[in-house]
Amino acid sequence: MAKYFGGCDLGSTTGKAVILKDGKVVSSATIRSRIDPVETGKEVLELAIRQVEGISSVRDLAYLVGTGYGRNEVPFANENVSEISCHALGANFLDSKVRTIIDVGGQDVKAISLDEKGAVLEFAMNDKCAAGTGRFYEAVVRTFDVTLDQFSALSLKAKKVVPVTSQCTVFAESELVSLLYKRHSPADIAAGVQLSVAKRVFTLVRRVGVKEKVVVTGGCAKNLGLIKALEKVLRVPISDLPLDPQLMGALGAAVVGWRKG
Amino acid sequence: MSVFDITSASVSLPERFSTYRQRIKTFTNISGMGLRLGTRFMMEAPRKYPWLKTLLTADTLFDMSTRARRGPYRQASAWALSEVIASITDMLEGVFGNPEKTVMHEDLVPPEILTAMGLNPWMAELLGIMGPLIRSDFAEEYIDAAENEGTPPDVCSLPKATMGLVLKGQMPHPKAILTSNMPCDGGMSSYTLMEKRLNVPCFRLDVPYNFYDDRSAEYFAKELFRAVDWLEEHTPGRMDWDRLREVCTLRNRATEFQMEVWDLLREKPAPMAGEPLYLGHMIFQVAMPGREKSVRYFETLLAHAKKIRAAGGALPDERYRIALWNPPTLIYPELFAWAEQRYNAVMLMDMISYNRHPYIDTKSPETMMRDLARIIMAGPMARHTRGPQENFFSDLFELCERFSMDMIWMAGHIGCKNTMALSGMFREKCRERGVPLLIINYDLSDTRVVSPAEVRKQAEAFMETVMKAGAPVDSEAKAS
Repeated sequence: MAKYFGGCDLGSTTGKAVILKDGKVVSSATIRSRIDPVETGKEVLELAIRQVEGISSVRDLAYLVGTGYGRNEVPFANENVSEISCHALGANFLDSKVRTIIDVGGQDVKAISLDEKGAVLEFAMNDKCAAGTGRFYEAVVRTFDVTLDQFSALSLKAKKVVPVTSQCTVFAESELVSLLYKRHSPADIAAGVQLSVAKRVFTLVRRVGVKEKVVVTGGCAKNLGLIKALEKVLRVPISDLPLDPQLMGALGAAVVGWRKG
Repeated sequence: MSVFDITSASVSLPERFSTYRQRIKTFTNISGMGLRLGTRFMMEAPRKYPWLKTLLTADTLFDMSTRARRGPYRQASAWALSEVIASITDMLEGVFGNPEKTVMHEDLVPPEILTAMGLNPWMAELLGIMGPLIRSDFAEEYIDAAENEGTPPDVCSLPKATMGLVLKGQMPHPKAILTSNMPCDGGMSSYTLMEKRLNVPCFRLDVPYNFYDDRSAEYFAKELFRAVDWLEEHTPGRMDWDRLREVCTLRNRATEFQMEVWDLLREKPAPMAGEPLYLGHMIFQVAMPGREKSVRYFETLLAHAKKIRAAGGALPDERYRIALWNPPTLIYPELFAWAEQRYNAVMLMDMISYNRHPYIDTKSPETMMRDLARIIMAGPMARHTRGPQENFFSDLFELCERFSMDMIWMAGHIGCKNTMALSGMFREKCRERGVPLLIINYDLSDTRVVSPAEVRKQAEAFMETVMKAGAPVDSEAKAS
């Protein structure tokens, strides 16, 4: 009988689940985090399980690993592993040449340096404030009155970059309002936001060293404007991953279970 | 889990009794000091020196140091703490009992000279060091006092706490101050403030920057001779060269025993770790060297280490060895006992304890002063944080090799600009050598910057992610 392995990443903003069978991703799900992390875990796992024929509940999984901020709260988990290790394992599972991961999540930013086996060599994280994270972008798009996708596309249309100096989410919001009132082009300001986040991430990545291949994981990895700004600041190409980068933690968690057989 | 996040080890009644005996001894020592100093002191001191109340609770340190430990290692830890506190009490008794003979000094000054002159050495920073060890938020009111008087917030919190004690009028009044051109800018400026506030004469030793040649040693020795002349002029102290010879001989003997302990530390599992090593060094080789008590401390420490070795080591299942760079985490001394219990990781050596310990040639006043000068120049702050960076790293990697360390924990005190400036280079050098490095972001004496719980979280993340030491025990329990 086929064995299914689950990984569940309860992040600050979203809950993610991945199910593996024979070393292949057979289903995944992402939902917005609920107030109760246990509810988030139950719901996202249920969504992922529903897409797989042959299993109907969490109990049918051969092994379930929890990760993320709420890793202790994943219902029925056999084990929990830190999200840093899981992002490294997930990225290594997809591409063993990855040596540097920049995880831009909903609430923090992490830079991870890993070896050819996916083991973490060093990491650095910023979890003191929301600057340069998904929460920051949520505040920014509210000011621009656009969606995240529209904001990303807008920043790529910039003809020049209007510098945004405030790193703090709260101050950046008011700075953006004043820049918009000064009639600067929204695209140029958007490019300024992306560059300001990229510079902040740069200082963090420098702490672990920039070694190619570099990939970006987490929800903000879908922001192409940020990826371009990071390439410019880091002066290295950012590689694509063959799976939704937001799922990397959950995938790594599932890989932990799968490797245990 | 206790407040320290350390679970009590199951120990026998005699073991428990032995710890209590040391606790009682400590309490008796401190209260005995009050009795010996007289009724007037007992009446006035609590109001004048409110920090004495914190010192009275010093026996809480025993919880930190012995709770997780068993057998002879537990006994040695309790004994070491009791000796350390007894010596601080001795020092305070001298300071309170005879202020006319008390000289306040910092740690780039050889206290041996003061002892030989019949003076009481009083290391000004000692209260700022011991206070947070006993009560983690101890220094905060003093830090605030210093900042409210205009000290910049980015100055190291240790001199700020010392300045605060002076500003609040809670520092025992010395006859004179002996300080130096130490590399810590906050520390240097703190002595200017203390000199003015306490209104006492102050002498500043010029420690040379390039200290590898004889010329520098001779220059600094001359500085020490100059300090002796100055002290004779401003205090009742008189240099007794025979007494200095005795003091230096005692220091040499203490060093011999300490080196023997270090030799044993190379064995796996190590026969000693944590506070008996670093607190013992801080008190008996930095603050109060060259005394019978210092010799006895290291001699007994060696005996304890041999006993622990015979019993299978401090942690018979020792898994990791930690080198600590920078001073120990004053606001969270439990960190090391916690690491022992959680990960079977022992902290064996730190930056303050690891200096070159040159022996003192007691042939003549000149040779003694030259070698005392060498000890200071080769000591932690003078040597490590003045530059060039080779001084900082060569000792560190040498000790990593000598004691087969598995990792380095850099206590990244944000107030130390000198060491924080080396962080990037630190990472690169460790990466080149393949040595796992944890830089703990925190402040030495201020829990409001980073709390002890946050310090522990950083260590946990590192141990779990980089050292693959397994998930924390409580999370494992939850997941199962």
